Amino acid sequence: MIASSPTSPAERNQLSGSSAEQRLTYRPNVDVATCDDILVLIADIPGSSASAIDVQVEDGVLSIDAAVPARSLPGTAVRREYGIGGYQRSFQIGADFDASQTAATYRNGVLTIRVPRLAAEQPRTIPITAG
Amino acid sequence: MSLIPFRTKRSLGMEPASFSTSSLTDFRNEMNRLFEGFFNRPSVAPGWFETIEPGRWLPTIDMAESDETIRVRADLPGIDPNDVDVSVSEDRLVISGEKKTEAESVGNGWTHRESHPGGFSRAIPLPEAVDPSKVAAHYDKGVLTVNLTKSPTSASRKVPVITAS
Repeated sequence: MIASSPTSPAERNQLSGSSAEQRLTYRPNVDVATCDDILVLIADIPGSSASAIDVQVEDGVLSIDAAVPARSLPGTAVRREYGIGGYQRSFQIGADFDASQTAATYRNGVLTIRVPRLAAEQPRTIPITAG
Repeated sequence: MSLIPFRTKRSLGMEPASFSTSSLTDFRNEMNRLFEGFFNRPSVAPGWFETIEPGRWLPTIDMAESDETIRVRADLPGIDPNDVDVSVSEDRLVISGEKKTEAESVGNGWTHRESHPGGFSRAIPLPEAVDPSKVAAHYDKGVLTVNLTKSPTSASRKVPVITAS
């Protein structure tokens, strides 16, 4: 689990990748699409890996928790625009989706999650036999 | 000296009806949008020759230097390495490319968009002159890493991006 306690600017400016005990948690940019039968979420999570990403659907909430290994360049920092940390975000998707059929892929730093909608109850026609 | 009230009873009575909750909400939304846009931008001031176009997405970068090398890393999630251009002149690194949308499977079903499809270009001034012939670029898991070698020569060349795997 990634702690969400923010580090002080001084600590963030240190470019020692090994001392990454205190980590930031970022909110990834996510595109959401809802089609007739599927919900698609596309999250930008650069630098992670498929095994380090945890996607869960529970009680109508889809949550993404991705760990990113310490990103440090060797040498003296000249510019530092992003810190060390993982990505977390949750979405209330409701009960209309089939959590057990959730599929997620990770490619080029992008996590794509597909959750199919629950099959609607089809009206059943009961055949009547003449007695 | 007398104090003049900022709002007299008369002016209060004449306040336009349009200054209502909806316009306040609009104002707040606009402020939120501006704040979000501002804080999503790279947190450093642009250096010389650096292009920062308002409203355009730019990759976040880290840069570090050692005695002989300069390393730059940029977050480029969802961008095909074949769509990334890295070009180097003596004192400047330009990372440009195009982020394509995953439209093939989604069609027009977008309900919420936070990514920024389309072209981008970021020119990064380098702290020291580099040798444009000794540059290596590597793309893995949405992160581009460029290794540059310090040198006084000056020329310009394109750098092929190598894909992981």
